[in-house]
Amino acid sequence: MDLVRNGRSAPAAVLTFPGPLGRVGGVGDVPAAGSRGAVRPDLEEVFRGNYPRVVAVAARVLGSRDSAEDVAQEVFLSFGRSAVPAEEAGGWLTVAATHTALNLLRSGRRRSAREELAGDGPAVVPDTADLVITRDERSSVRAALARLPHKQAAALVLRHSGLSYAEVATALDMSPGSVGTTVRRAESVLLKELNRHASPE
Amino acid sequence: MRHPSEGVLRRLVDEPAGVTDDDRAHVAGCPDCLRALDSVRADADLVGAALAPSGSADADAAWARFSATASAPAAAAARRPAAAAARRRWSTRMGRPAIAAAGAVALLTGAGVAAANDWLPIFSAERVDPVAITSTDLVQIPDLSAYGDLEFTQAPEPEQVADAATARERTGLDVPEVGDLPAGVSGDPSYLAAGQMSATFTFSADKAAQAAAAEGEVLPPPPAGLDGSRLRLQAGPGVAAVWTQPTGVPTLVVARAGAPTVYSSGVPFETVRDYLLSLPGLPAGLADQLRSLSTDAATLPLPVPAELVTSSTADVDGAEATVLTSRDGLFAGVVWVEDGVLTGVAGSLSADELLSVARDLG
Repeated sequence: MDLVRNGRSAPAAVLTFPGPLGRVGGVGDVPAAGSRGAVRPDLEEVFRGNYPRVVAVAARVLGSRDSAEDVAQEVFLSFGRSAVPAEEAGGWLTVAATHTALNLLRSGRRRSAREELAGDGPAVVPDTADLVITRDERSSVRAALARLPHKQAAALVLRHSGLSYAEVATALDMSPGSVGTTVRRAESVLLKELNRHASPE
Repeated sequence: MRHPSEGVLRRLVDEPAGVTDDDRAHVAGCPDCLRALDSVRADADLVGAALAPSGSADADAAWARFSATASAPAAAAARRPAAAAARRRWSTRMGRPAIAAAGAVALLTGAGVAAANDWLPIFSAERVDPVAITSTDLVQIPDLSAYGDLEFTQAPEPEQVADAATARERTGLDVPEVGDLPAGVSGDPSYLAAGQMSATFTFSADKAAQAAAAEGEVLPPPPAGLDGSRLRLQAGPGVAAVWTQPTGVPTLVVARAGAPTVYSSGVPFETVRDYLLSLPGLPAGLADQLRSLSTDAATLPLPVPAELVTSSTADVDGAEATVLTSRDGLFAGVVWVEDGVLTGVAGSLSADELLSVARDLG
């Protein structure tokens, strides 16, 4: 279902979900989401301060700015209705964006990685002098990311999004000592994918 | 000493201070470990480069879009008070696939009667019970599309209408009349009406297996006949009256709707329920709550975010109502089902005030 992509267009599915929530929410009678109607006063500040980073987190997973911005909008919606303290917003948003983007990545609903990447920046993105990643490789890496166990993929993305090992451990309910192993394992799997598709050296 | 693990080397790349002095000292003096460290570092850099997002996002434009659409703050809400508020609730709550999945599982599990070959009503809400859902549950529950295909056959098309009479004309439901408005609520309400909605859910063993595999789990074998079996979900129509502050924040909402029903095309419903509840990915605590509720086919589980909302029960003219109160005490709601009709009263009022509105409804 397309619910996750409602950031911009709020497709009909969003408005017609049949279920207790849909029914109840539709006529607007139950405060199941807590403080509905109230927008937290710090939302704009948190949004402006964190938006680029949240998009970057989702883009790491999805490889597409458009999808990443959809995810970011959704994550800020959730944040706006949450009671998360503002000083914890950065970490919370990063974790939420990671889970949401990973779910979207494997939902099979997104356009193919290739299709998205085609309209998204140059075919070859030089990073450092000897790290040249081709568009094909980027799309293979994302396909491999989608096949990783959720926790492994999340640990990888959170770590590459700048969370500390302790923060990753807390977010994913792991021991700090196992984060390195989990991240390393995920990187090995992705690299296998990358090497297989890499142009001959 | 033995060589530190690759996990330790990986941490050494990012956070040398997080690695023990012994490990650091060993690596510094061990040619094998230094070589391994180089390769771990190179791998990390390469993956980092492969994942690196290109360009940077424009926060100003994004904020403009964000505040103008679904999460509209007061300013935007004031432009289209009721519609915007209602839409915000829909899109916010429904926008989370996890919540949608929880809602669907909750609804699907509310039944217990075996079905015949044709569409057969197997669930009809007669009462509501809250199911506590934590944010941890939410990130764990997979997308509903993981279990099959959901197709909407009839959209409710909620819209604002001029008055209660129009709402009645469109839906056949009387908008509940409020006796005395509580203190702080004044003026005339705006009215919303929505038609009946129905959707068909087709279970797919393939999809569920893929979802399980993505989580590194093995799908339990589906019972005979489940693959491809269909459920029809139906709810509505619904009407609501909304009193709004000048800022656009709703102070009181009174709503009534046809309670949800579920029909099955073949497989006994208990089979579907038990299987869904056994799927990997559904948090055990949540599954237990749903299972204990679904012993009869008449209790509608209402997912409630446990961190934000407390729930209790109260009597409303002989019906048992669920009372929800936000933990910050700013909002509350009362909801109950009677004769297949679900009624709810909610607002930025105390639970006592809302209960007295509920008991006075005409």
